[in-house]
Amino acid sequence: MELDPHTFDREFDLAELLAGMPLARMAQILATLLDGEFRLVTVGGQLMLGRAEPFAQPGRAAIRHDLETLGHLESASAGEARLSAAAGMVELVLQLSARYRMAADLHTETVQEDYAALQHQLAALKESEARYKTLSEELEERVRQQVETLETAQRQLYQAEKLASIGQLAAGVAHEINNPIGFIRSNLSTAQQYVRNLERLAALMKAGDMAQFQAVWNEADMAFVTEDFAALLGESVAGADRVAKIVADLKGFSNVDQTEEEIVNLNDNLRFACNVVAGQIKDKAELVLELGGLPRILCLPGHLNQVFLNLLLNAVQSLPDQGRIKVCSDVLNNEIRIRISDNGCGIPEGNLDRIFDPFFTTHEVGSGTGLGLTVCRDIVQAHGGRIGVESKAGAGTTFTVYLPIG
Amino acid sequence: MAEIDEVNRKITLKLVYYGPAQSGKTTNLMRLHDLLAPDLKGEVMTLETQNDRTLFFDLLPLGFRTPSGWLVKLKLFTVPGQVAHDATRKAVLSRADGVVFVADSQRAQSVNNAEAFQNLEENVQRVGLDFASVPLVVQFNKRDLPEAQILSEEEVRARWAQAPWPLVFSSALIGEGVKETFARLLEQVYPVLDKFCALQESHGVDRQSFVAAVTGG
Ligand SMILES: Nc1nc2c(ncn2[C@@H]2O[C@H](COP(=O)(O)OP(=O)(O)O)[C@@H](O)[C@H]2O)c(=O)[nH]1
Ligand SMILES: [Mg+2]
Repeated sequence: MELDPHTFDREFDLAELLAGMPLARMAQILATLLDGEFRLVTVGGQLMLGRAEPFAQPGRAAIRHDLETLGHLESASAGEARLSAAAGMVELVLQLSARYRMAADLHTETVQEDYAALQHQLAALKESEARYKTLSEELEERVRQQVETLETAQRQLYQAEKLASIGQLAAGVAHEINNPIGFIRSNLSTAQQYVRNLERLAALMKAGDMAQFQAVWNEADMAFVTEDFAALLGESVAGADRVAKIVADLKGFSNVDQTEEEIVNLNDNLRFACNVVAGQIKDKAELVLELGGLPRILCLPGHLNQVFLNLLLNAVQSLPDQGRIKVCSDVLNNEIRIRISDNGCGIPEGNLDRIFDPFFTTHEVGSGTGLGLTVCRDIVQAHGGRIGVESKAGAGTTFTVYLPIG
Repeated sequence: MAEIDEVNRKITLKLVYYGPAQSGKTTNLMRLHDLLAPDLKGEVMTLETQNDRTLFFDLLPLGFRTPSGWLVKLKLFTVPGQVAHDATRKAVLSRADGVVFVADSQRAQSVNNAEAFQNLEENVQRVGLDFASVPLVVQFNKRDLPEAQILSEEEVRARWAQAPWPLVFSSALIGEGVKETFARLLEQVYPVLDKFCALQESHGVDRQSFVAAVTGG
C-alpha cells in the first residue's frame, strides 16, 4: 500500500534523513575521527558522503535506524572500535534528524487539518450569514408591514379624533343656538298674545264702542305692550342675527379637510374658536381675549381652527368650578405667538414630556383618543411652526403656538 | 493499515495507545520497552513538552524476522491526551492497525475516560477506520491506587459488560497487566494482518508465534 510521502510516520531512508544536514561539516568531522578518507553508503551501495571511489578492502560498520540497517560507514584507515564509534555517532545524528522530521511533518499535518477545519467553519459561517441576511430581509419586510398597519391605524385614530372634536363642536353649537332660539320662541309667543289683544281692540274700534275700547285698552295695559312689542322684536332680530353668525362661523369647521390654503388673520380664527367654546363655559369660566395686531398669513384655516379649539377644550376640561381662560396673540421675533392659558389643575411635571405623544392622555378613558395634542403638534409643524407647553400642577397651563410669518 | 514494502521485504504496523491525559499511556510504552524481548527493539522516542506531558507522541519500534526472511515492524505510538491536541491525536490515529484505550481507574477520572473514549470513536471514524472492526483493547490502569480512590473491578466490568472489547486491569507503574494488554491486542491484530498479507501461508507465522515473536515469549 502506497503511503502519502508526507505522512509523519512514514519509513525514512538514509538520503531523506541526511537531507538538510550540514554535510560538508559532517564529512570533515568524520574524516578527522577516522584518520582519513571514508565513505557513507546506502545498503544498495549508493554513495551519500565521502570518497567517490570505493576502497579496495575497507573496514565496515552498519548504520542502523529504527530496527533496520540503512547503510554502512567504510574506512580504510580507522580501527574497528573507532569506526563503530563513528557509526554510532552518525546513528545518533540520524535519530535526531528523524525526530525533527516526524515532529515537523506531524505539525504540518495538524496545521493542514486545522486549516481544513477552519475552512469548514468559514463555510458554515458564510452559510449562517446568508441565512441571517435572508432573515433580516424578511424582518425588514415585516417591519415595513407593521409600520404600514400602524400608520393605517393612526390615520383612523386621527379621523376618530377629528370626529370627536366635531362632535364636541356640534354640542357646543347646539347649546349656543338653543339659547337664542329659546328666547326668540318665547318672544314670539308673547307677540302672539299681543296680536290677539290688538285684534280685540280693532273689533271694538270698528263697532264704535269707544267706552268698551277704553276699558279693554287699560285692562291690557296697551301702553306697555306697544313699548314691549318693539323691544321683543328687536331682541328677536338680534337673536336671529346671532344664530346666523354661528351658522356662518360653522363654515370654518366644515372644511377641516380642505387642503387649499387661504390668507387669513388668525385673530379671526381665535375669536371664532372662542365663540364655539363660549357656550360650554358660560357659567364656569371667564374667557379673556387679548388679541394684538397680527399680519395675515397663508395657512389652512380649518386645520388651525381645530388646533385652537382643541387647546381651548383642553383648557376647559382642566378648569375647576370657577376659572379663567386667557387667549393672547402677538408678534415676537418674526413669528406669530398665540398663548392659551388656564388657571386649572395643571399637568404634573412627569407627564409634560409626553403629552404630545400619541395615545397619551390624562383625561378619563372615553373622553378622547389621546391624539388631540398629537394632532395639534402635527398641524402646527405642518405649518412650519412649533408648539410648547408650560405648566405647574395646581396652578395652570399655558400652551404656546409659534407660527412663522410669510 | 499495515504497509507492505516488497522491495525491502518489510511489513510495517502501527499500534496506538489512546486515552485521557495522564492515564499512563507513556508509562505503558516505557514498561513494554523493559518487559518485551523481541528480536528487534528500538528505544522509546518521546516528544514531550515541559511538565513531562506528551506534546506530539511517543514511539517505540519493535520487530522480528519471519521464517520467510521478512521484517515485521511494529510502531507503538501514544497520543497526547490533552483535549487541545485533537488534530495531533487524529494524525497519530490515522492508518492505525490496532488501539489500546488506556483508562484511568480513579473515580474522579470517569468523565475524562468517557470523553476520551467518545473522542476515540469520533476520530476513528474521521480518519476513515471502522470502529466496529478496528482491533481494540480497553485497559483500566492504576489498579495499585487505594481502593477507595478507584472503581472496583466489578464496577468496571458491569459498566463495560455490553462492550465487545477485551478488558484488562493493569498497573503500568509497576508493570502489571502491561504485557497482557499488548498481547491481547496482538491476538486481535493477527487475523486482520493475516488476511491482508497471508502471514501464515506466505511467511510461516501463525497467531501464537506472532504474539510470541513480538513479545519475546
Ligand atoms: N499509581 C499509578 N500511577 C501511574 C500508573 N501509570 C502511570 N501513572 C502515573 O500517572 C502519571 C501520568 O502517566 P503518563 O504515562 O505520563 O500518562 P500519559 O499522559 O497517559 O502518557 C505519571 O505520574 C505516572 O507515573 C499506575 O499504574 N499507577
Ligand atoms: Mg504521555
